[in-house]
Amino acid sequence: MAGDSRALTTADHSPVAGLAHDARGGISNVVLGMLLFITSEVMFFGGLFAAYFNVRANAPLWPTINPETQHQFHLEMLPLVLPATFILILSSFTCQLAVWGIRRGDRTAFLRNISVTFLIGIAFLIMQGTDYVILGSEGMTLSAGTYGTTYFTLTGFHGAHVFGGVIMLGVLLYRGLAGQFSARHHDAVEAVSLYWHFVDVVWILLFSLLYLLPGKG
Amino acid sequence: MHPLRHPRNAIFVGLLFSATGVVYWGVQSIAGWHVDFAGVTMLILLGVAMSILAYVLIAGSPND
Repeated sequence: MAGDSRALTTADHSPVAGLAHDARGGISNVVLGMLLFITSEVMFFGGLFAAYFNVRANAPLWPTINPETQHQFHLEMLPLVLPATFILILSSFTCQLAVWGIRRGDRTAFLRNISVTFLIGIAFLIMQGTDYVILGSEGMTLSAGTYGTTYFTLTGFHGAHVFGGVIMLGVLLYRGLAGQFSARHHDAVEAVSLYWHFVDVVWILLFSLLYLLPGKG
Repeated sequence: MHPLRHPRNAIFVGLLFSATGVVYWGVQSIAGWHVDFAGVTMLILLGVAMSILAYVLIAGSPND
């Protein structure tokens, strides 16, 4: 049964194999807390997605009619949406490189990659803000019917989560520069990377839903 | 000893819920009823949430 008892050892098997765990095989409190938080966030975004699908399914036309112009909204691929999507996906890789760096005790690689991730997060927020300005100039606002409401609610809440992630990355960068992380002590890095990957996955779903799913009517 | 043992088995817990969501959608579609997309979405994502929770319970358990 010795083999069975080792089956729960996260270092041996789990997808987050490098996560900090105590001597008996559990995972650290920080990572545990973040995983539970992400679980609640899945259901939070689940509610938003469910509302979107429900509104969309019950609308005779999707995108809906712009109440101001009486023309159907036409959400074209905005100039900055694709680059923003690309860099956000890229940031997941740089974030993971930072995690791998600190796991092997390479602080230079950690700091370099976490800095890039931090900057990409800021760039994404600026690009999203620019897209909002473009949409606003075309009459699509939060109050422009159900289409505008669902679009800005979904992307806005995602943007708020990216903003939260950027703050966490900033804290990691600050603490990293202060030399607070090592191969042995870096629970916060693991936790923030999990959050950042989650935010990235949500954006990929949102992008597919809003820009790739064909309309109806 | 935890019945699921391997943390990766957590995915099967989530699949139960997600599969229920897919069946829920399939039955409504086949029967020609109004599809409850909100319910289907929530069930599928509940599967994701349950997977993570099950992972936490299994991977976070001590080995002894």
